[in-house]
Amino acid sequence: MAHRWGMVVDLDSCTGCEACVTACHAENNIPTVGPTEAARGRAMHWLRVERYWEGDFPDVKVKFKPVMCQHCDNAPCEAVCPTYASHQTDEGLNAQVYNRCIGTRYCANACSYNVRFFNFFNPQWEKPLQLQLNPDVSVREVGVMEKCTFCVQRIKAGKTAAKAEDRELKDGDIQPACAQSCPTGSIIFGDLNDHESRAARFTHSPRGTKLLEDEGTAPKVTYLQRQSWNEPDTQ
Amino acid sequence: MNRTRNNPLADDLVRPLLHTSVWFYGGVLVLASIVACGAAAWAYQLWYGMGVAGVNWPVFWGFYETNFVFWIGISHAGTLISAILRLVNARWRRPVTRCAEVITAFALMIGAIFPIVHLGKPWLFFWVAPYPSSRELWPNFRSPLVWDFFAINTYLIGSLLFLILPMIPDFALIRDRTTGRRQRIYGALALGWQGTTTQWHRLEAAMQIMAVAIIPVAVSVHTIVSFDFSMAHVPMWHSTIFGPYFVAGAIFSGIAALIIAMAALRRMLKLHAYLHPLHFDNLAKLLLLMSLLWGYFVFSERLTVWYGNVPTEMAVFWSTQRGAFAPFYWTMVVCNFVIPVSILSFRRLRTIPGVVLVSCGVVVGMWLERFLIIVPGLSTKQLPYSWGHYAPRPAEVVIMVATFAAMALLYMLFSKFVPIISIWEMKVGNQPHPAVSADEDEERQGLWRARP
Amino acid sequence: MTAIYGLYDNPETAQRAVDGLRAAGVADADIQVMSSEPFEEYEFSHKDSATWIHWMAGLGGVVGLGSAYLLTTLTQQSWPIKTSGMPIVAPWPNLIVMFEMTMLGAILATVLTLFVSARLPKRLPVLYDPEVSNGYILVGVQGPDRNLTAALENAGEGRVKTIG
Repeated sequence: MAHRWGMVVDLDSCTGCEACVTACHAENNIPTVGPTEAARGRAMHWLRVERYWEGDFPDVKVKFKPVMCQHCDNAPCEAVCPTYASHQTDEGLNAQVYNRCIGTRYCANACSYNVRFFNFFNPQWEKPLQLQLNPDVSVREVGVMEKCTFCVQRIKAGKTAAKAEDRELKDGDIQPACAQSCPTGSIIFGDLNDHESRAARFTHSPRGTKLLEDEGTAPKVTYLQRQSWNEPDTQ
Repeated sequence: MNRTRNNPLADDLVRPLLHTSVWFYGGVLVLASIVACGAAAWAYQLWYGMGVAGVNWPVFWGFYETNFVFWIGISHAGTLISAILRLVNARWRRPVTRCAEVITAFALMIGAIFPIVHLGKPWLFFWVAPYPSSRELWPNFRSPLVWDFFAINTYLIGSLLFLILPMIPDFALIRDRTTGRRQRIYGALALGWQGTTTQWHRLEAAMQIMAVAIIPVAVSVHTIVSFDFSMAHVPMWHSTIFGPYFVAGAIFSGIAALIIAMAALRRMLKLHAYLHPLHFDNLAKLLLLMSLLWGYFVFSERLTVWYGNVPTEMAVFWSTQRGAFAPFYWTMVVCNFVIPVSILSFRRLRTIPGVVLVSCGVVVGMWLERFLIIVPGLSTKQLPYSWGHYAPRPAEVVIMVATFAAMALLYMLFSKFVPIISIWEMKVGNQPHPAVSADEDEERQGLWRARP
Repeated sequence: MTAIYGLYDNPETAQRAVDGLRAAGVADADIQVMSSEPFEEYEFSHKDSATWIHWMAGLGGVVGLGSAYLLTTLTQQSWPIKTSGMPIVAPWPNLIVMFEMTMLGAILATVLTLFVSARLPKRLPVLYDPEVSNGYILVGVQGPDRNLTAALENAGEGRVKTIG
């Protein structure tokens, strides 16, 4: 059976430390735009930790969740792209083909989760920082859209390695950078078609919710809600 | 028709082509400089990247898309006046049709530049066109941007032909009145037109068919432009009313632009004998009608949103009515509804200066309307963490001003080389018409008869 | 090229000239009437064969519709790419493209038929007089095989000219 890649984020164990954000930047050659451009709203965090504050001091509550591309089954970003740069692969990933992108930015507008980012300028790395670039991931030029790919380069590498070793892929063989770097193991990635995988089992957890579920986008990232042990009746 | 050797009609309308004043050269120079500044701003953006504009995350569309929709909207002037009035045989349309059709042609050309300017990689703009590429990839016909390509090109080709066909007899007239190089050029443009009855019959039949065809095309064009927004899940974009709302708004802004253009031409080319206060009065009544229609659509849309009280939509709603965009919103309402209805409802106030003033307000108000559709929705989408704001930057403003200058420049150049009022249609209009019923008129014209 | 024609300053006289030429035995197809504006209320405007242009416009529309159908469905199937859960051959968006190309086909067919049936652009030496642009109506015959001067002069006030 074909793979169907999905992710589960356990908001109970997530501490909001943003190690995943940093790891994503490092793995995927995401440019750092600098303070001026960041102030203009051009920062590119494929994976971000959203924070919402509720209430006034001293009863302040903060809720946070890591948000990345949800790789929706009914992705609103795909049909609007005039050049098929955004489309769904056979394994359920929402692919962004940089070479087809002409930069209309329609996909970014259509995405309800705002997880798509645009290269407003050519990315630059001051020497010797270019030595840190990941050779498995392309560097995008000015004018193209980019977003979380579920570390497709690692998926490809994992499948290639399994094939070379003449074995099946096991759950846990493929870890995107965010899942790999999470200190509490809150990000779980796996094959939703493999019913034994952790990702597939946690997707059906009673704590599981989807972000903006009533938009009808059918996202493949499931968020497991926090259980607060000193407020047993609250969600 | 002219029954004497003296042709004051033709004399008056050909004179601007043959005599050039110093104001013309000065005007062309000033406008061309502004257009050059716009080209420089675009070159700057091409070199450094889209980052020189003000768009950001999450407001990825701003001034360029506003101007795109605005100019395509302005282009609906020609169609309404020319095609619909032609079909209902309204006699007062005759001096107005070519002015209107010229606005359509140039507004479309200018509007069609913006989809290229707003691209991250504009040198690849042709990838939205269906052609067999070496990548074996065709455009995605599900994308509203590809629909835009087909719609705008069809409308542009149709409008240009609608404009150029009735110019052929006028080119023949100019050919017969000039000598030397001018005569050769106009002679070539006239395509050897003699004015035989066969040629007139076929030209008028072609114009009739084009008038019928161009109206649904125009309606579809701005509906498809509205689909750029209504097909996305952005709050207050995903609305079924957008198609008719945009078309009504387009016709509204188009009539306003036409009134301004006609008033300018009347003053500069001294066409007082041909563009009468009656023409402006009639157009003012249409403008009033469109203002009321616009108000109706805005009220319908806003009432539905307010009544539904959906949080994601209400965030956008309040940001326009009370929040950061409130000054623009209320200016728009005053310019598009309060002022037009107050002034144009009274015959005494429907003077040419009054109507032109109202029209200028409408042009401003309709530009604001496009802006207020695009930016507030994108600023406040579903996830509040990603709310943002937008401010235009110099490159966008310079390019916008340059497009207004380009419109004026193209219009000036056109009125220098082609009579801005259709001479042969004016002559037909001056023929005495006996009162006939519609059936008799059609029978006599025999336009709908086709014998094998 | 030889020709004989009269220049008249009103359509009634032109109509009499046309009738005079018919009485002198000239076929309708050989009588040419030229003016700087159309005169739809007069009989001489209607002696020509009816135009095919409406049928051609319809044909153009059908060709446009068919082309659009083939363009959208064949290209969508040539490289099937999944987008937004929509079918590979997406009927509703394809309808939009089909509508636009239908209208474009009708418009282009109309203009093409106009040029062909009105025989524009004309290059060969043709019968014409620049006085037509001053408002005169030209009624004439190219290559007359009989003397038509009387027929043209008897129509009323006007000038009769010959070429060749």
